[in-house]
Amino acid sequence: MTAEAPSRPGLQVGPTSEFSLFFHVKPGHGEALRESLEALQAAPGYRPGDYDLPIGTIHEARFVPFDNDTRLLFATSFDGSWDAYMLDFASKPLKLFDAIFQNVEGYDGLPDLEAVKDFIRSAQLTAGGYSRNYGGTVKEIRKAERVNKAFQQVLDDPEAAELLQAPALAPLLAEASD
Amino acid sequence: MTDALDLDDIQAGALHERPSPYVGTYVLLRVNDAHDGRRLIRRLIPLLSPARSVLDATPSAWMTVAFTYQGLQALGVPQESLDSFAPEFKQGMAARAAELGDVGDSGPDHWEEPLGSTDVHIALATLAPDQASLDELVERARRAQDEFPGIDVIWRQDCHQLASGRTSFGFRDGIGQPAVEGVGTAPTNPGEPPIKAGEIVLGYPDETGGLPPMPTPDVLGRNGTYVVFRKLHTRVAAYRSYLREQAANRREEALLGAKMVGRWQSGAPLALAPDADDPELGADPKRRNDFLYRDDPRGLKCPAGAHARRANPRDSLDHDAVDVRLHRMIRRGTSYGTALPDGVLDDDGVDRGIIFVFAGAHPGRQFEFVKTQWLNDGIFIGAPQESDPLVGPQDGSGTFTVPRHPIRRRLRDIPPFVVTRGGEYCFAPGLRGLRWLADLTEESR
Ligand code: HEM
Repeated sequence: MTAEAPSRPGLQVGPTSEFSLFFHVKPGHGEALRESLEALQAAPGYRPGDYDLPIGTIHEARFVPFDNDTRLLFATSFDGSWDAYMLDFASKPLKLFDAIFQNVEGYDGLPDLEAVKDFIRSAQLTAGGYSRNYGGTVKEIRKAERVNKAFQQVLDDPEAAELLQAPALAPLLAEASD
Repeated sequence: MTDALDLDDIQAGALHERPSPYVGTYVLLRVNDAHDGRRLIRRLIPLLSPARSVLDATPSAWMTVAFTYQGLQALGVPQESLDSFAPEFKQGMAARAAELGDVGDSGPDHWEEPLGSTDVHIALATLAPDQASLDELVERARRAQDEFPGIDVIWRQDCHQLASGRTSFGFRDGIGQPAVEGVGTAPTNPGEPPIKAGEIVLGYPDETGGLPPMPTPDVLGRNGTYVVFRKLHTRVAAYRSYLREQAANRREEALLGAKMVGRWQSGAPLALAPDADDPELGADPKRRNDFLYRDDPRGLKCPAGAHARRANPRDSLDHDAVDVRLHRMIRRGTSYGTALPDGVLDDDGVDRGIIFVFAGAHPGRQFEFVKTQWLNDGIFIGAPQESDPLVGPQDGSGTFTVPRHPIRRRLRDIPPFVVTRGGEYCFAPGLRGLRWLADLTEESR
């Protein structure tokens, strides 16, 4: 069920919604911010090639310092209603971003989750446009990757050509020639 | 402030298990005159049980009093206080219908009167192990209501446990419940430590480490809890016919039914009894809730889309940005209507189902979250097209995936089996809060 929920903020395409946060960097914290971003980038899961962000429902995530490191953008694509999951973010993954957010205005950190929620909501802006090139959730894409990997393994087997002739396998055979 | 639960002030209903067998009566009242309304509350207070009294020994019957937003308004609660309640409560359930998936046959324009209307002010829920005890307490409350011409009884629903001990679809229910810190009852799921009292009762720290947003004044909010009730009609004949069509034999019929729920009819969980029902396990309160899903990530035992696994994914989502403990709830559902006799596949036109009752401190992130994100939607399990096969807002085109070796089974064209007949968001104050309400004067506005 992906019916458009009227009160859900952020633009939505299929099951996925865009989520962008704009922060003001504390004066003099530009360098510390850059350091905290580098540290995150080196953390397990975030390292290039790890493909294992601790939030299993986001497609990608970027932190962009701008205006001479006086502002910070966080942008991501989230499966589901990020507004409904706000407290969950604040309670679990936020700890990973804590070092980054220490450098922006309005962040008092845990344990006051309601305040953290307000901090996030007040930084959020809805996109003026949002498009996607595929429709699946992260979980579906991962499944599709696994299935394709398995399919390629089957094609590498010399017996595949003959076995794929079975009428029930026609849709797979159609995908087998390239 | 002390963190010890004030069990002498909290109303019994939220913290006390439903007896088995049970009988229950739900009554809705309209307050036409604020003065009469407040006098009625004063008369009802002596009939109520504080939580401590029922935790020590199950009393013969106990009653819970709760109010809608309109009800608090009708009693003359000041606007400043009304404004301090949870947004969902202020809007009322009918206004939340689109959000909750109450559309089509389940939409408020089809609801049973007066559910969802501004006439619903006070809700009285009475439960007892036997009819005589129930009748006695309900009768005492009725005499109190009758004393005041400014009070109208506008709805009554009687409930009773079916002879089978099961609900209309045939399943034992009320099993999966969180234990609440400070109440003293041991968790039935050792894998889930008791949740913080503030998840259920206002005025205590909750799972976030802070205090839940509490209505003002303090005396009204503290020791209160939000109560959500929904009258849910179950289309038992349609459910049985659907399973019969999908299954080759009775054994498979029972298996598919269990896959939809996550438990066999006896209550035995698929996680512990994946292949066949185990009635002994289903009847054993010590063992039947003692499980997690970590050894079953693909859902080969219990599908990720099964009702109970959706409603409480336990450890299934530990790798997602989800803190399951923020989305737990106390359920106090009861059955209404007679059972459809065994084996009957034709609809007999009888209204039967459950009065679903939720108790918790956060109607939004508990009840509404679970209903909208986990039951109505399948995004969280990577199946955006699927909703809960048993209780989801099905439109007749939905699917349900049953993982299975060697090849998964996919049920198609699932008809709606549950229809919302109406419901309301209520607030059940502590006993001091009730006294405060009874003492309101015209000047307090
Ligand atoms: C007519 C509608 C419904 C029926 C027939 C139904 C039936 C059941 C059954 C048979 C179980 C398994 C036994 C148990 O653990 O108690 C269950 C569990 C549960 N249901 Fe429902 N249910 C309905 C609606 C709902 C709704 C609307 C919600 C929440 C918004 C809900 C939340 C839960 C939860 C939290 C559990 C416990 C899961 C666990 O801890 O493992 N149910 N339900």
